[in-house]
Amino acid sequence: MFRQQLRWLRSGDDPSGLDREMEAFAAISVLGYGVNSKLALFGVQPWTDKSLELTVDGSAIERNNQGLGDFTAFARYTLWQKDALGRTFRLAGFGGLTAPTGEDDTSGRFGRLPPPLQNGSGAWDGFGGLVATWQTLDYQLDGQISYRANEFEVGDETRLDLSWQQRLWPRELEGGVPGFLYGVLEFNWLYQDKHRVDGQRDDDSGGDTLWLSPGVQYVTKRWVLEAVAQKPVTQNLNGTAFENDWIATTSFRMNF
Amino acid sequence: MQRLIMIPILLALALPAWSAELHYKLRVDGLACPYCAYGIEKKIKALDGVVKDSVEIRLNDGVVAFEASTDRPIDEATLKTLVNDAGFTLRGVKTQPLVQEDARHEP
Repeated sequence: MFRQQLRWLRSGDDPSGLDREMEAFAAISVLGYGVNSKLALFGVQPWTDKSLELTVDGSAIERNNQGLGDFTAFARYTLWQKDALGRTFRLAGFGGLTAPTGEDDTSGRFGRLPPPLQNGSGAWDGFGGLVATWQTLDYQLDGQISYRANEFEVGDETRLDLSWQQRLWPRELEGGVPGFLYGVLEFNWLYQDKHRVDGQRDDDSGGDTLWLSPGVQYVTKRWVLEAVAQKPVTQNLNGTAFENDWIATTSFRMNF
Repeated sequence: MQRLIMIPILLALALPAWSAELHYKLRVDGLACPYCAYGIEKKIKALDGVVKDSVEIRLNDGVVAFEASTDRPIDEATLKTLVNDAGFTLRGVKTQPLVQEDARHEP
């Protein structure tokens, strides 16, 4: 399986008074291989283009950075599966590592770029979680919980994702394997610990955000095309932590 | 000499009578989206003797059907392993001899 994801992110609601605006684009390539019916291995390589505008002493400055981000490898194992006619329930565990392969010490005209603008985190991160899927020919419900432990600087993350996919077309199933058009609605909750700067906790970082993410997905036998827009419903961020405006994601997935 | 030529010809004509030309109808549980269907289709097409164009999946019935011409009928254990490897559950197999093309068009 190959998946190419394109993601645009914008953060512009800045409580710090620096009038910061950040835009980021990421092209994320994922290669997956099914070792057997239960175990699948994945490799993820992002490429990012980020820019940050802010006002310092009344002057607007822009800082930007592009390049390959950190490489992630993870495995997913189906722990339990129950199949029936036209429906399936699956519970899987997953875990992996993010390696510090992206550049994390890039400097610009105004000195070293801040961590959010660096391509890489400079740290080994481990993550793991559980995902449960209830899928029928009419709809699919997914629930996922995950934890990411970051080696240093960036705060650890806990995520809870719920996703509902409803088949919109074809309205009635007849024969064969038609393409399905799904409407998608996701809730994504993210809690992040405070970052650590020089061994001290940064009180202007971390907090929790709840996203509402509507989208559409077209699924055929060989490929899947999807588009999702994420908008924060609530953001309880610490201090002057930068708030998110929206994230738009499109992705293309293909079976081999 | 003539007899020597006739032996391989007769053998070749006789071979189809020894092979199993069957239509297989598998009842598969867990097929719940179009994307799921590809894995099982790929594995069936890779089986020796399967007529690749004959593989047909009917999602709404949970049916995977195909035709195969093999020395011996494909046994249920082989099909169960194949379906499991594709990530699904085999509930049953029905086989029936292929109807000849000319017989199929008889009124």
